Amino acid sequence: MSSNLRTYIARRLILLVPTLIGMTVLVFAITQLFDPIERAALYITEPRQARFVKEIIAKYGLDRPVYIQYFNWITQVIQGNLGWSQSLHMKVLDALVTRFPATAELAIYSTPLIILFGIYLGKLSAIKRNTVIDHASRVVAIIGWSLPSFWLGIVLLAIFYGGMGVFPPGRLSEWAEALVRSGEFKLYTGLYTIDALINLNFSVFLDAIYHLVLPVITLTTINVALIMRVMRSSMLEQLNKMYITAARARGLDEKTVIDRHATRNALIPVITLSGLLAAGMLSGVVITETVFEFKGVGYFAAHAATQLDIPAVLGFALFAGILFILANLIVDILYAYIDPRIRLG
Amino acid sequence: MKKIKAVSKVAAILIVAILIAAIGISVGVYISLTAQPTTTTVITTIITTTAPPTTPITTPVRPPIKNPDTIIEATIGEPETLDPAWAYDTASGEVIFNIYETLIFFNREKVDEFIPMIAEKVPTVENGLIKDDGMTIIFPIRKGIKTHAGGEITPEDVEYSFERAMVQDRDGGPVWMLLEPLLGVESTRDPETGEIIVTFEQIDRAVEVEGNNVVFHLARPYPITTFFQILSQTWASIVDKECAIQNGAWPGTEEDWQDYNNPETPELQEVDCGSGPFKLERWEHGKEVSLVRFDDYWRGPAKIARAVIKKVDEWSTRKLMFLQGDADIVYVPRANIKELEGAEGIRVIKDLPVLALDAVFFTLSIDPNSPYIGSGKLDGKGIPPDFFADINVRKAFAYAFDWNTFIEQAWLGEAKQVPGPIPEGLPFYNPDQPMYKFDLAKAEEYFKKAYNGEVWEKGFYLEILYNVGNVPRKTAAEILKENIEKLNPKFKIYIRGVEWPTYLRAMVRGQLPLFIIGWLADYPDPHNFVHPFMHSHGAFSAWQGYSNPHVDELIERGISETDPAKRKEIYYELQRLYYEDVPSFALVQNLGRHWERDWVQGWYYNPIHPGIYFYDLSKGYT
Repeated sequence: MSSNLRTYIARRLILLVPTLIGMTVLVFAITQLFDPIERAALYITEPRQARFVKEIIAKYGLDRPVYIQYFNWITQVIQGNLGWSQSLHMKVLDALVTRFPATAELAIYSTPLIILFGIYLGKLSAIKRNTVIDHASRVVAIIGWSLPSFWLGIVLLAIFYGGMGVFPPGRLSEWAEALVRSGEFKLYTGLYTIDALINLNFSVFLDAIYHLVLPVITLTTINVALIMRVMRSSMLEQLNKMYITAARARGLDEKTVIDRHATRNALIPVITLSGLLAAGMLSGVVITETVFEFKGVGYFAAHAATQLDIPAVLGFALFAGILFILANLIVDILYAYIDPRIRLG
Repeated sequence: MKKIKAVSKVAAILIVAILIAAIGISVGVYISLTAQPTTTTVITTIITTTAPPTTPITTPVRPPIKNPDTIIEATIGEPETLDPAWAYDTASGEVIFNIYETLIFFNREKVDEFIPMIAEKVPTVENGLIKDDGMTIIFPIRKGIKTHAGGEITPEDVEYSFERAMVQDRDGGPVWMLLEPLLGVESTRDPETGEIIVTFEQIDRAVEVEGNNVVFHLARPYPITTFFQILSQTWASIVDKECAIQNGAWPGTEEDWQDYNNPETPELQEVDCGSGPFKLERWEHGKEVSLVRFDDYWRGPAKIARAVIKKVDEWSTRKLMFLQGDADIVYVPRANIKELEGAEGIRVIKDLPVLALDAVFFTLSIDPNSPYIGSGKLDGKGIPPDFFADINVRKAFAYAFDWNTFIEQAWLGEAKQVPGPIPEGLPFYNPDQPMYKFDLAKAEEYFKKAYNGEVWEKGFYLEILYNVGNVPRKTAAEILKENIEKLNPKFKIYIRGVEWPTYLRAMVRGQLPLFIIGWLADYPDPHNFVHPFMHSHGAFSAWQGYSNPHVDELIERGISETDPAKRKEIYYELQRLYYEDVPSFALVQNLGRHWERDWVQGWYYNPIHPGIYFYDLSKGYT
């Protein structure tokens, strides 16, 4: 790694701190738009508790000045405590740690498929521009993009699980869940497919894959158009450039022109998008997680936000912020490798 | 090169064809999924609370039983905590009453008959365990009850459990039910200042160990059945003292006891210090709670090895799990019940009276700055803050409500009108108490009397809010609007759906001209309903600004009176006054349903249970 690159990474990581503070201040400010009684509603799940609303506001300091509330929160965070999530009834950090593997498992299997399919279809569409294949792939990709994920998820569940009795919701079958929780199985990452391989337990591995099929198909179908459209337009732009004409004029075969020259350059915007896509997937896919009972960080964050669970919302904002900043950093580094003209530092 | 091109072309065409076919099939399936079932097989059973469920009428196919030694319940709620002194929601209660035990417990379906559990006997005057006119109650403690942590329940554990609950007494928690009879206060703190107002000596004296007995010293006369109902529920669970202390709970000493009062988070949040028929196996937040059979349970191990309560928010997923047999007991929203009727392998038990009551509460003194009262004057563009202080307006609103339409539309016929505020099924419910009936002529008559005819002459405008997602409350508001606007073109009502936090804020601040809300029984005694509905310090009546000294006095007498005949007189009188004074009017008492796979055996209904009591359940065909 060059010293320029090291400096660049260090600078970006240092910038992470003010960015995250700015973001939490913003989120905190937004939550203060709600009245203390509205924020106390988080603790009042049943009408019979509502008579205690004043006491609850006083107890949790919901009517204190905003800067004091923020100061108290940030002091806790510095000490490694993200606070208590009343909506999930556990510590925010524990919630993120325990929920993340489910989201990560979905992201690990669906993101590569989305990117590969997207690149393949986008490239094919560009090469076959204005042919039946081009039109058909674009139409289908747009249909996929337009489908509401809850609808597609429910329909897939109805066909395969409801109709055929295969691909049930959840992350594991009951027997596998019991096995994973027993002393016989060691959890290393919380990602069942990976842990099963480490434990050399192929039946649990296959069961975890079996449960991943439908959510991964859903996510792939819905997101593939995003990559495909960018890849297609980027590829078309490259194919119209002079260096491609020059390469053809030099007598290079079409495969080399497409794969070695055009595709490589067309990938740059796709990499940016893929980075954001991966960060987005890792920070949660609420609807897919809900429909397929794959309760990850997305479900947690949505649940917390609807209940005005401020510590949880802030914790999630920190988590998602870090993910996106790191994803951007990785994308920038990848640029330098793919396009030698780009210099970091 | 040609070959590659050909393969690409074929691949692309295949992908396109598969996707188009998939979408086509999906549309068809989605349409069929949302359509009503056409099967005519009926597998429903109707029971009363005292009758066990009967077998299905027809069982055409008997599929293999999935997970034969595990009961899986798919529902929408999630526990807040497993700390019995903290928990006040039914989802927490369901887990707690399967892993903890109480001194006494409800005798199956009965809400006023008890069986001994950790206590060896249910105290009575006859067996000498109730003394001093009911002010001293003695519970001999059963020996040999093993705890999940490896210990044995002792009288000291029982004493500690009650004292810890009173020491903890968190805001918004259930411990007020213990404090009222044992210390004579509703809270250990002053509601205004938050200062602690009880002493440790009071707490210590209330529950004492004498040999193998635990003795309760009541601070005030209290109906014994009511006290036993309180003792039979989760907030009176007996915890293993050693286990609790090891997990950071109050150490059981006077020193620093105030530090353990009203904590920010529960002490025994995810800890199992119980001795009940099931042990906590794991709690995956937002996903499921898994309980495993406790083999050393004193009544003998449960028939099933494991009980799993899954939180499945999405109805379609829950439904498919139920139909596939992956869930044995499922929460079915009322709007979706038709989707399951006639489904094979499903048993539904209907007409289960729920101990809850929804009502329309009038705010007698509305916040003058309320944004929901228009101009704030009786000028046809608003209402004055004391609009509902006129009894004629309250009566007119009550007569304008159409219960039959409400029951049909909001509850699909599965609810009944009750006079209020005491639901049917509770002691001292008066079945002959008159109640308001839909009568627009009467409504008109009272509107014309209101404000010496000014209401009728000038008209009014007000807003009714409901919390979004609550279909019955929305329907009730719409019925009122439609009927009242029909009476006079100068009457205008606007209905606004808001989120629960906004609704709560407006209600607490006295900004709602009227609010529609429900009360779920804490314990099955009329006091638990008349107090929130009618007492000047009641949960709902305080927000209304309703105050009737005679009513307050009757309510105080009712809960201090131990003679059932005298209590009956008091509660009959309160029901009469509720009708006469109409501070609010009860909407309906709804009738619930229980849905289970037909291989589930042993379920019974007790309306005060917070959920499924798994000990009595098994799986198998009869």
